[in-house]
Amino acid sequence: MHSLVQPNSWIALRLPSDVTRVFKILPDKTISLGKYGSFPSNLIIQRPYHLTYEILDKKEGEGFSRLRVVPTAELYAEVLAEEAACGDTPDNNESTSISATEKVEYKVVDEEGKVVDVLDENARQTLTQEEIEELKRDGSGAGKELIKKLLLSHNALDQKTSFSLAKYKLLKTKKYIRRFQVLPVDVHNFAKWQLEERDASKILDLREEMLGLVGCWGNVHYGGDDVYLEDPGATGEQGEEMLPKIDEGLLAGRWLVVDDTCGVLVAALAERMGFLYPEEEDDESKSDGRVGEESEAAPEQAPTAVENGKIEAQDDQKDTEMADATTQEQQPPAEATTGEAKAKQHKRGSDFAIPFSQTNTITVVHGATQPNLSFLTHWGFDVTAPNHPPHPLLNHLLTLSWLQLLNPTADTTYSTPPLTASPETLLSWKPGRRGNFHRKRRRFARTRHIVDTARAGGFSGLVCASTMDPISILKHTLPLLAGGAPVAIYSPTLEPLAQLADCFSVSRRGAWASGMVPEILDKTAEELERWAGTEDFPLNPTLLLGTSIHTSRARRWQVLPGRTHPLMTDRGGAEGYVFTGWRAKPAEGRVSARGKFQPKRRKVETGSASEAATPTVETPKVETPVTA
Amino acid sequence: MNMPTMVPVLRHNISPFLDPGSRTKANSLAIVQLSRDNLVPVYLQRPTGEHDGYKEGAVVNTKYGSYPHSTMLDVPWGSQIRASKVDTGSRGRKRKRPDGEDAGRPATDNNNNNNNNNTEEKTVETPKEESEPTNGAAAVAKPAVDDNSGFIHILPPTPEIWTMSLPHRTQVVYTPDYSYILHRIRARPGSVLIEAGAGSGSFSHASARAVFNGYPTPEYTKRKGKVYSFEYHEQRYHKMKSELEEHGLEGIVQLTHRDVYKDGFNIDGVSPQADAVFLDLPAPWEALQHLVRRRSTPGNDGWVSPLNPSKSVYICTFSPCIEQVTKTVSAMRRLGWVDIEMVEIAHRKLHTVRDRIGLNLPVDRGVNNSPKDVEEALARLTEIENRAREHARDSQLGGDDADATPMDVDTTTTKQNGNDGRQWSSKPWLDGRLVTRGEPEVKTHTSYLVFAILPREWTEEQEAAALARWPCGGEPKQVIGSLDKASRKKERREMLEKAGKSGDRNSRRKERIEQIGSPPPAPAQ
Repeated sequence: MHSLVQPNSWIALRLPSDVTRVFKILPDKTISLGKYGSFPSNLIIQRPYHLTYEILDKKEGEGFSRLRVVPTAELYAEVLAEEAACGDTPDNNESTSISATEKVEYKVVDEEGKVVDVLDENARQTLTQEEIEELKRDGSGAGKELIKKLLLSHNALDQKTSFSLAKYKLLKTKKYIRRFQVLPVDVHNFAKWQLEERDASKILDLREEMLGLVGCWGNVHYGGDDVYLEDPGATGEQGEEMLPKIDEGLLAGRWLVVDDTCGVLVAALAERMGFLYPEEEDDESKSDGRVGEESEAAPEQAPTAVENGKIEAQDDQKDTEMADATTQEQQPPAEATTGEAKAKQHKRGSDFAIPFSQTNTITVVHGATQPNLSFLTHWGFDVTAPNHPPHPLLNHLLTLSWLQLLNPTADTTYSTPPLTASPETLLSWKPGRRGNFHRKRRRFARTRHIVDTARAGGFSGLVCASTMDPISILKHTLPLLAGGAPVAIYSPTLEPLAQLADCFSVSRRGAWASGMVPEILDKTAEELERWAGTEDFPLNPTLLLGTSIHTSRARRWQVLPGRTHPLMTDRGGAEGYVFTGWRAKPAEGRVSARGKFQPKRRKVETGSASEAATPTVETPKVETPVTA
Repeated sequence: MNMPTMVPVLRHNISPFLDPGSRTKANSLAIVQLSRDNLVPVYLQRPTGEHDGYKEGAVVNTKYGSYPHSTMLDVPWGSQIRASKVDTGSRGRKRKRPDGEDAGRPATDNNNNNNNNNTEEKTVETPKEESEPTNGAAAVAKPAVDDNSGFIHILPPTPEIWTMSLPHRTQVVYTPDYSYILHRIRARPGSVLIEAGAGSGSFSHASARAVFNGYPTPEYTKRKGKVYSFEYHEQRYHKMKSELEEHGLEGIVQLTHRDVYKDGFNIDGVSPQADAVFLDLPAPWEALQHLVRRRSTPGNDGWVSPLNPSKSVYICTFSPCIEQVTKTVSAMRRLGWVDIEMVEIAHRKLHTVRDRIGLNLPVDRGVNNSPKDVEEALARLTEIENRAREHARDSQLGGDDADATPMDVDTTTTKQNGNDGRQWSSKPWLDGRLVTRGEPEVKTHTSYLVFAILPREWTEEQEAAALARWPCGGEPKQVIGSLDKASRKKERREMLEKAGKSGDRNSRRKERIEQIGSPPPAPAQ
């Protein structure tokens, strides 16, 4: 993540009304914040994040408003003054804060703490709307003047308690002060904005607490330095025999992801694995020349296309577009101009060169023909763009459909052998056809690689936030997990996860281990790992360990001198739950448990006793037939 | 088999927390899962002959049987391990029983032991027992023989599992808290973190995983994530230090024994350049004075800020009391931190249970033998009523045997009920209604978390330079943000045109049509 606002990147502006605006910051534009005013975008480009600015009044002869960084002392002036007042007499906090009963002359205090205006007792009239509008138009002091006037002209101000006065002032400040804060669009800010201000259902009500939990219980972290397969150097005449062989020894640090949150989950995991943001560069050293001009056009395409919901159409269109071009030389947009990005850009090898790292990857399985990861555009990545400018996600994000994962031969891309052509034929073709030829061969190699590595299994973990039934997801993904790999499944509601947890209940495990399930008796361990599921046993209950369901919620507090308390309201709706467990490798043959905690032994009722609260009762050993 | 010799071996390996590999390894940490919440850390050893009286080498004794390390080595993670027949009796005062009450103790003993010293032999055995000299110490360990019951699972260590099983030294920062904190303070691969108050080390492990992006190498390639951890308590410091070594995390976590209130966060006067800070201290506000961009007080000429000068720095303080929070927040306000927010994490763990209610269910623990619905209640009441009526009729009719017969009938019928009606279905796992229930004990308060951000410094000169590079005033009337419809349409049209120029066939055709003179196509909206 950059330390300065980069041109053409996405930023968030937080307004005094607590509304956040998220947009792409283009150079040489005017940013309009509605009633709070507007200012040139160049004034915040290459400036630090988290500063609070005030929109100043237009200077004589200038057509735009300049900005002023509001020092924190000014932001906190009132609280600090209050603290200072309380600090001298810590014992009678109570009496100083509630001063309603006292006859106080209300004063309006300026930044330095000097009293500027004593409220005129005779100020009986309130400002009319027209007057306010006029003041706004005159707009001096970034709205501060106006707020002061409003307070002064309130005729019942002296009847207010200090609490309600503070509230009143805050209300007016929120409405009229012309300030904003610049925030980076990282996963935390974006998800929060999407959840609280946009469409929470789009990201399945995934709260920040849940993002943290899912990432930690999924043990998602940097999965090792990049390892690439050697370019087989296949010529146009060579077919699938030249595809690079998958070396399972190289595969490491791979996470399997099912994401129905339009890419927020993938972004959160990519952030944890260190390939969401383009590698940092020294912002200061990049001072030579502006990047703005030439880069404006290109990156614009991606997000708008997705917003219009034309993902697939766009894909086709881009394919043809690409076919026209003589492959890679066509694309030097945005980031390509920076030196560092150039170094990152791989020289494209032969058609069968695998662009993906063998380590530190996310494999996304999607239910539609194309993955819906549209929110990744906020981090400069468009999953549907076939000829993408360099981005770390390109080499680390693998996507495949459930069809490709479970029945690859039914998938055309996977099963159609690649085209071949002799160099002479190739040369005789028009560039468009030639481009198409290479594109198809590359797509074939990519698909083959993604599908084959995914089916090889050995994933380091599974993370889900999906609308699909978690039981069906686990049925097909459990065999793909390495032993000990964690599973973290998010669901906005509890019921699907409760049903899932019930599949691993003590009774089920007990019955399974004690041979009460006739279907499994003649099966090998391998067959049991790929258990297709029956009505009674949708999943092999011995494949997950330590299953539990978590939820957590952050309660926000207001911390002000003498007025500290939890916030009165918070977001309701879906609570959000995470199911966790670890993949087990059951021993072959029958394994009996041991334990002496059951007070009475009952033959018939084996495995049926309550799995109630106490942890000791819930050991797998307890309920199964006891031989010890 | 001494501890110090182990350490260098571990140093070469990548920490099992960061990459456990696919199988268990010798001299590395593994977690033995006895039951869901009963996890015991074990340092696996290759058996090299008789060990502490066990012919099989080092052995983990649990209440679910004995497990020689040889059975747990070089198996895939997550493997289910059968108990072995281990002679625990003849080596000391123990009775000759493989799973006596004595076997239950080592699990807890292990934990205590981890507290005392971190030598791995002692982690896995009962230390209080003196090993008895046995006849001719065998050079080769006896191969383990499967016992007929008992099993455990072996898991790779993760910060979550470690947090569940670690030896407590101080209050532990649990997973719900640290997951949220790390997410909010933006601990990512490559970040540099300051952690003050290493405590029990759960946060150190989790943050090490979060910032890890490769072990530091002599040749500088990219900024490597690192955790600078500080601990004031000397004993805790030493324990933590050896723990980090055993876990192969020394390259990632640099632990310093220091009073940070007094001495700040720089290492030998060099700034760690931290991107994020986590303070688990009794008085965070006293440490905050060191976490500033520059100092105004004279006499600090050589002082450098421990913070990354080119980035916004995120902080989180972790304090249990509200008074601490008030002071911390007040100090933060004075020191120029922004976006100060205090939250409290409430975490719940839910158990799924089958709620078994019904008259026809057998009497058992966890079974509520009351009617499951009105119909059942009604049926039962009717039955009782009928029986009473019958009884009354019988006693009216029959004279002397009236007291005997109905009683007999009554007892036999209930007995019959017990045998016929009251029993489990053939699928006991489907009985009852599926419900969720909280844990028996809930953590209602861990600590208050105060978050804040310190923006980077921005000087007049930097501002002037930026303004020179990004001059304003000359921009065209193009607006981002709340656009009116007309300019939005215009922008869209321009964008389409631009896209057209870069090679799209359709838009080129459109362009051509436009040139020819037909009316410009209306934007799609």
